[in-house]
Amino acid sequence: MVLMKQFDFKKGSSMNKLIEVENVSNERVTGVQFSLMEGSLTTIIGPSGAGKSSLLLLLNRLEDPDEGKIHFKGKNISDFPISELRRNIGMVFQQAHLFDGTVEDNLKFGPSLQKKWEPNEGVKLLEKVQLPKEFLTKEVENLSGGEQQRVAFARTLANNPEVLLLDEVTSALDMRTVDLMEDLLHKLVNEEGKTILMITHDLKQAERLGSYTLFMNEGRVEEQGKTTELFYQPKSATLKHFLEG
Amino acid sequence: MTNISNLSLLTMILFVMIPVSLSYLFSLGIGKSAIWSSIRGVVQLFFIGYVLTFLFSIPDWQGVGLWVAVMLVIASLQASKRGKGIPYAFLLSFSSLILIEVFVLSLWIVFDIIPFRSEQVIPMSGMIIGNSMVATGLAFERMKNEFHDSKGEILAALSLGANASQASQMIIRKTIRAAMIPNVDGLKTIGLVQLPGMMTGLILGGASPIEAIRYQIVISISIFSSVSICAMIISLVTYRFFFNRKMQLLEEKGGKK
Repeated sequence: MVLMKQFDFKKGSSMNKLIEVENVSNERVTGVQFSLMEGSLTTIIGPSGAGKSSLLLLLNRLEDPDEGKIHFKGKNISDFPISELRRNIGMVFQQAHLFDGTVEDNLKFGPSLQKKWEPNEGVKLLEKVQLPKEFLTKEVENLSGGEQQRVAFARTLANNPEVLLLDEVTSALDMRTVDLMEDLLHKLVNEEGKTILMITHDLKQAERLGSYTLFMNEGRVEEQGKTTELFYQPKSATLKHFLEG
Repeated sequence: MTNISNLSLLTMILFVMIPVSLSYLFSLGIGKSAIWSSIRGVVQLFFIGYVLTFLFSIPDWQGVGLWVAVMLVIASLQASKRGKGIPYAFLLSFSSLILIEVFVLSLWIVFDIIPFRSEQVIPMSGMIIGNSMVATGLAFERMKNEFHDSKGEILAALSLGANASQASQMIIRKTIRAAMIPNVDGLKTIGLVQLPGMMTGLILGGASPIEAIRYQIVISISIFSSVSICAMIISLVTYRFFFNRKMQLLEEKGGKK
């Protein structure tokens, strides 16, 4: 039996609101409102089709809301140059979606767009996701699912984003890799001060990792707050029912 | 060259009867369609024969101008059918085909490869336009399919800060490569697997094999170049239609958000 760690995350220590979402709606989400504290890890839980992934696409501006505003560092995200915003609010998808070529080709994709890639950067990124340096020259098609997901994670980290949007990145991984990834998330928040918003279907993981949790249902954020409060004192019947599984 | 008499041509009915009989024998349900397409093919070819006879009888610039224009319109209409959903598909096809025809024809004439005579320019242009039409249609289709199948990779590229052009590079490369590969393979085996149509036609018409080969080289290389240019133009122009100005991938293939 693998014993999962209980992480002690900083509870958004600086308490600065890095991202503020104000009454955002589009085809899939309705009136969404919440804030992300700088240097915190927030999880999103909720049934399938609740609008969780759509919400992440809005924050990375892969989609735009029909109504409402999203602020990043106090500034409307539509006022940022779009590429700069996407580099700062990085995203890792549920599937790795690696590009054809080697692991290094993938890792340098983002930095190369700005001509900022340095050859030794690849090894450092692989170290972060606990893959050996020999992986740099491997063709991505020869990697296992877990390895591909870790490379995808490292590819996003290569841009050194301040915020990470993670869409069920551990759902297809084995327990050992999940453990490694959770360790990495812990380091990214506590040592590097990253702000993470993470969708997960694993309620235990949400409880273990999230300082804050959003519960989404039918496109709306039905409940939000500190994870412990949400899990042990749920207000809505829907969340109670959802937690009972 | 031996003339094929009308009576000899009629014996071709026997050949048509083979697939028709097979259709009835195996209940393939294509008997009527086989008869109809054979009749249609014969009528069309005779019609074109008379049209070409007329075109070759008028001044070369008129004959070439008239028939090349007709070929370009028909080819553009056909190619744009594959680009359904992509804005300006007909205009794009027409522009790229006209560009290629002008480019290839200019090279042929300027370097004295062929004389500007209807008998030479019309059939050779037909081959260029025909092959380019197929390449254009396939490029449209490939772009649509790739944008659909590689949606995840494109979103990943955009999320990493790539603009529409950078995020589409892998698809553009695949599209151009797909257009070039059949020609690369064809050139590798040219003459070894089957004698190319033009060369066969010239030899049957009484030209020496070496003379026929010279023409075949000109046309094969010109086609190779034309289809590559076609695929490049179509992919480099159409990728933009899959994104909006905010570098967001559009849901509908080639539609506008």
